[in-house]
Amino acid sequence: MHKHFSVNCFLPPHILINIATKGTDSQKLLAISTLKTSEQMRGQRQALAEFTAAAFRVAAVGGKERVVYDAKNGSGLPGTIVRKEGDPPSADVAVNEAFEGSGITYDLFNDVYQRNSIDANGMRLDSTVHYREGYDNAFWDGEQMVYGDGDENLPVSERLFNRFTIALDIIGHELTHGVTQFEAKLMYSQQPGALNESMSDVFGSLVKQYKLQQTATEADWIIGQGLLTENVNGVGIRSMKAPGTAYDDPVLGKDPQPAHMRDYVNTIADNGGVHINSGIPNYAFYVTAVELGGYAWEKAGQIWYVALKDKLTANSKFQDCANLTYQAAGELFGAGSIEQQAVQKGWMEVGLTVSGGGPTPPPDGGGCLEALLRLIGAAPAAKR
Amino acid sequence: MQVERIKFERTGGFAGMRIAKDLKLEDLPDEQANSIMELLDDLDFEELPEQMMNKESMPDEFTYTITVETKKGEHTVVTGDTSAPEKMQELLQLLNRLARTQKRQ
Repeated sequence: MHKHFSVNCFLPPHILINIATKGTDSQKLLAISTLKTSEQMRGQRQALAEFTAAAFRVAAVGGKERVVYDAKNGSGLPGTIVRKEGDPPSADVAVNEAFEGSGITYDLFNDVYQRNSIDANGMRLDSTVHYREGYDNAFWDGEQMVYGDGDENLPVSERLFNRFTIALDIIGHELTHGVTQFEAKLMYSQQPGALNESMSDVFGSLVKQYKLQQTATEADWIIGQGLLTENVNGVGIRSMKAPGTAYDDPVLGKDPQPAHMRDYVNTIADNGGVHINSGIPNYAFYVTAVELGGYAWEKAGQIWYVALKDKLTANSKFQDCANLTYQAAGELFGAGSIEQQAVQKGWMEVGLTVSGGGPTPPPDGGGCLEALLRLIGAAPAAKR
Repeated sequence: MQVERIKFERTGGFAGMRIAKDLKLEDLPDEQANSIMELLDDLDFEELPEQMMNKESMPDEFTYTITVETKKGEHTVVTGDTSAPEKMQELLQLLNRLARTQKRQ
């Protein structure tokens, strides 16, 4: 809402940065939006996101801080504030979905992984709804979530997409892009890009499972359920449980996701198929989670979260992710633990053999306690 | 600029679906053809740099490739939701609307 004012002709960046750091909230917004359009900051979205996060860091006591904006079908971001923390629900369903959805996503990361927001430091969660007209998409712009209304401007009989806030996992997906931007910083291209996408699907789906309190076997593992209209033959955009089966439709075509390395799709479109090949790590996560049973966010999610936070880097590929999740499982649950074996099995099912996760696990399993006992000589050495 | 044809392609996005449309201006209703011409003129399309993407795409944003053919030749511009200038938004929206009901690939 402040974006239409412009003070950039007069103020040099160092003064704007000062205002953005020390000003009132509306001064901060104005200064940041001005910095965003300045030549110096072009293309430096990571720097801007960190800066914005710093400017709006919720005080140490802070918890969840959400703001939903309305773009009113225009392309200006963020738009007009329509709901913030503490406000009563809006009459607009998209506004409430964005607000509630970012709240549940915050809760999963905070309650389960002890992560305070996107930047692990209380960053405010900003969402814009009603972006453009007929915008059949949602994205993370480096600082905030943006949602379109789908095909709202087509006749009902021609609509393919509903509004993008309709599925909770889409909201979790977009927010997780923010987490990845602050942690592994996976490049958005080729295999690192497909891992970036997969992390968003994994935690997007976990947000939904957490909300519904579903176990791994109860969950549908569909990404974007409810997004496709009844004119489309499909249950959603992707299936983590059975990649390649989410839709098969005369207009939309067929879900192109592979579930195995032998079917990896080489393409230049979609940044090297980041939304296609993510099916492979998605399926590895699904297999791991089902193998472990129970709530997927507890063990499988914890392992993937540690890999995202502490192990994966900008150029990591699928094999790296296999090795590093295996390593993380070993550290969290013990070398040779059932958890580590489940991770190994998950990647095996997609055609990847883990390596470099430390010593070969004993064939009879053996968790943390056993390993510790062995170490102090209280248990017999594992058979090799 | 006497535009004959526009090739529009949209890739990426949350769903990762590609849509494309090849538009002959003479096949469009006059009103639509005129507004496309006006938008291209306003943008000084032929003078735009070919690469108008940020260094890296932002997650789930669309990538747009627009090729405009005139008698003199053709010019292609690649841009995205977060990198397209405000002035280009109306053109993107219009081309998007024309391409959206096409079969995706």
